[in-house]
Amino acid sequence: MLLQFKNTVHAQSSYQFGALPSLNLNKKMKNDWSLNFKIESRLLFQSGEINGDVDKNFNNVLTDFSLIGAKKIGLNSRIAGGYMIRFKEGNLYHRFIQQYVIVQKLSGFRLAHRFLSDQTFSESEEPEFRLRYRITSELPLNGESVNPRELYLKINNEYINSLQEKTYDLEIRLVPLLGYEITDQFKIETGVDYRINSFLTDNTRHSYWMTLNFFIEL
Amino acid sequence: MYKFKLLIFLIVFFVSYNLFAQDKFEKESRIKPKDVPSKALSFIDSLKMDTKVKWYLEEGLNKKSIEAKYKQNKVSYSIEFDSIGKIEDIEIEVNWGDLESSLSESISSQLQQNCSSHRIEKVQRQFTGSENDLFTFLNTRIILEHLNINYEIIVRCKQLNEVDLFEYLFNKNGKLISTSKLVLKNSSQLEY
Repeated sequence: MLLQFKNTVHAQSSYQFGALPSLNLNKKMKNDWSLNFKIESRLLFQSGEINGDVDKNFNNVLTDFSLIGAKKIGLNSRIAGGYMIRFKEGNLYHRFIQQYVIVQKLSGFRLAHRFLSDQTFSESEEPEFRLRYRITSELPLNGESVNPRELYLKINNEYINSLQEKTYDLEIRLVPLLGYEITDQFKIETGVDYRINSFLTDNTRHSYWMTLNFFIEL
Repeated sequence: MYKFKLLIFLIVFFVSYNLFAQDKFEKESRIKPKDVPSKALSFIDSLKMDTKVKWYLEEGLNKKSIEAKYKQNKVSYSIEFDSIGKIEDIEIEVNWGDLESSLSESISSQLQQNCSSHRIEKVQRQFTGSENDLFTFLNTRIILEHLNINYEIIVRCKQLNEVDLFEYLFNKNGKLISTSKLVLKNSSQLEY
């Protein structure tokens, strides 16, 4: 909030507003292996400078396809690695992903810690290297755990350290979501994905993405 | 003689069936006091506690039950009723270190046989018996001789490089009664 207030004073602050629909397909394999296939699009409805010019042209900014293989290494922990391809404004981006996730079952809710590193390569930009940490809480709105035909609240908070062309940036994401478990195999979530970046260089950008996530277990 | 052999066979079959680790699915939903069977509600009311009681509906594969949970003097209580409100058991969370050494040694020995490594997550002392005896116990902490005591233990157990969560039930002497593997909730929406 303070960052947002501080940056609205400066003319450099910009914003984006749009939608971020995604589809996650998960498949359990033998010997504690699993696969995650994800499609995500970024649709821009409006962007501009705060207190400045506004662009209301609709733009399908990008579409990502990723495939991640994961191996359970403890009761509640998993390591994973994968590849993502991004289609953005006629260019291709290749991203390699490594992650470690641990899920804690606490009294009345679950907490997940995700440590992730990724490396992105493309012909149009210099390579980007990122280190990310995300904490996610899942609060059932009925009972001790989320069950079919029940709602839940999910809150993500992520910190993304990025290095590109010797320039460091920090992005912070806060994503409150309302989820509904239709069956054990099918969940839907919706909410707002708020992101703030470039605030270290005084070119703060605020992004607000309306999110719609589908999770399907095959 | 034939009937006797058949009886032995049936006993061995059921005992080994019970000892074999079954998967345990349980759905627990919070319910309001107005949805609790009146018999269960009046049992809890008659305890005259000034602590908040939370009510849950537990649905397993074959049965439904009602559970009242509360804390008293920092101790967690869970009282289970059947679907019409008749009390089934009382479970009280206890510390592993508070168990008698002969009991904990017997349980540990069993767990060492079943798991290449293990960690005890939760221990509950379970009381079953008549409604009157259970009520007396909750009011006075006097354990009447007809009350039956078992120990329900949640264990993180590693077997053949796979780690799973199990629910073990032991009698008061540390003899194994049953084992079930707990089916953990999917967490892909927390990971991706």
